[in-house]
Amino acid sequence: MKCSSVQEVIFLYTDNELEEEICVSLRRHVELCPECAREVAYKERLLQLLRQRCTRATAPSRLRRRILTSLPHRRGQLFE
Amino acid sequence: MAKRSADQSKGWDFEAAAMPFVDSLYNTAFRMTRNAEDAEDLVQESYLKAYKYYDKFQEGTNFKAWLFKILKNTFINNYRRRQQRPPQSDFAEIEESFETQVSDEVKRRIKSPEEELLEDVLDEDVQRALDDLPTDYRMAVVLADLESFSYKEIAEILELPVGTVMSRLYRGRKLLEASMLSYARDHGYLRNDAEPAKMRSRPGTTNRTAADASE
Repeated sequence: MKCSSVQEVIFLYTDNELEEEICVSLRRHVELCPECAREVAYKERLLQLLRQRCTRATAPSRLRRRILTSLPHRRGQLFE
Repeated sequence: MAKRSADQSKGWDFEAAAMPFVDSLYNTAFRMTRNAEDAEDLVQESYLKAYKYYDKFQEGTNFKAWLFKILKNTFINNYRRRQQRPPQSDFAEIEESFETQVSDEVKRRIKSPEEELLEDVLDEDVQRALDDLPTDYRMAVVLADLESFSYKEIAEILELPVGTVMSRLYRGRKLLEASMLSYARDHGYLRNDAEPAKMRSRPGTTNRTAADASE
């Protein structure tokens, strides 16, 4: 694999969407190419930051109640 | 009476299948509408639609993706127009300056500052960068990076070819990166700059970056 091919498939690799055969050849290239190794590590860190630092919003309990009471089989039921 | 019990059974089935996804749907709705009240209305409306069309859901296919597709359509039809706001950052500009500042050649030759800059990124920078993304890119990024859907599932939810999903993710993440690094540069600049605040507006010094400051 060439450096330019690594660039093309880098997100497929970090997203686990790359065929195993190509993964193997990418890993082999990365072992011998410090620039691509750094680039892959950088992209992995970027995505990790995005996942970790974006606080997940949790559905408020009133929304659950609203949804449930609006469904026909529960209509009219009271929730505490 | 038979009708009533069939409805009852559909209701309980639907509730058991759909309610476990309320947090995921709400999180995505919140990222898309960028406000709690609209996010609640969007999720509520999506649940009612999903209930209405529950009979049309094909057993054995991906129920979570089906729910997200309903959320996406409801968002596009009812919320997207009024949620549109001009991005707070000029992405074209950021992207362009990012490209010229950090050319591939430079990346190869020097220790790139991006790895270090990335560590200066704060939680609120990530949220801001994500909120500022154009809607189509934001939707792809949220589904992939916050909700961990596969490309195939995202393609199903957004009703797009996988290739389009890949290109939206690529561009969306690139914009996010540029925006996050730009915020991080600001932090680095503020932290590394020993000059008093009033001096910072001196002509010629306002565009200094963290890299400049550490020279």
